[in-house]
Amino acid sequence: MNDKITKALYRAAALTFEELGFMFPSSELDPLQKYASVDAQGCVDFEGPYAGRLVVRMCGGVLPVLAANMMGELEPPGQKLQSDALGEIANIICGNLLPSLAGARQVFQLKTPRPMPQDEPLPPVASLKPTAEVQVGLEEGRADLLLYLIDLPQE
Amino acid sequence: MALNVLVVDDSAVMRAIVIKTLHLSGVALGQIYEAKDGEEALRVLDENWVDLALIDINMPVLDGMDMIDKVRQNPETADLSIIVVSTESSETRIENVQRKGVAFVHKPFTPETLRQAILRATGVIDERQDHKSPVSGSGFDF
Repeated sequence: MNDKITKALYRAAALTFEELGFMFPSSELDPLQKYASVDAQGCVDFEGPYAGRLVVRMCGGVLPVLAANMMGELEPPGQKLQSDALGEIANIICGNLLPSLAGARQVFQLKTPRPMPQDEPLPPVASLKPTAEVQVGLEEGRADLLLYLIDLPQE
Repeated sequence: MALNVLVVDDSAVMRAIVIKTLHLSGVALGQIYEAKDGEEALRVLDENWVDLALIDINMPVLDGMDMIDKVRQNPETADLSIIVVSTESSETRIENVQRKGVAFVHKPFTPETLRQAILRATGVIDERQDHKSPVSGSGFDF
């Protein structure tokens, strides 16, 4: 089940970065991408057939370029809009991912995406491990996606 | 006929994406208004002539579904063409939206997808139908 979720998470993320941000995602990371440090992180919490959180971390200076691409601007927008862009990315990935896991007729309530301070714990519940985790190579950085499901769906 | 369009989304980035896609769609545009929630959108509708509203569902203050109900209850705006633009993928939710007499476009979307939804929602005739594609061959989604 976790392998299925991991594949679905990568697909949803790759599609979103490609179509919304005009970036070419790769699953194989080069050393520059692999060791890039985290610049910003955000999350979307959700409830429904199962509850949880999707965390998106942007690394290696990707976010300013991504935000500019999304808005059709040549120059990166300010910090507030970059944070807004990260929230939209998380929201769209999560919105596309959940029905593909739970079934097309299932209804989830997605909370408003929000930025996460670097020192905030990633899981929605202390010590909860990610159900699925993927890294997507983007230009000279990467995006980390961590999906936490509080009630892990059964096969 | 140039359409006056209202774009309602609490995300400034998403409003920018929608407006960029509107321009790429080839639809004749008049004035474009923006609102960050349903309540602000109702004020814009009260003060301006709008032909089409593109509305997100999940917004603070007054969400998209409640805004649509208020628009439909007001005789001045009851017939407004509305397209919901959302990440919502649940068929159940999408059917609920469509029962309110509005169209639905899923994020991410292409300029062509948006164009077709606008033409269906407004009944505007596609004057470019026999001419070149509105997006000059771009396969990009937004």
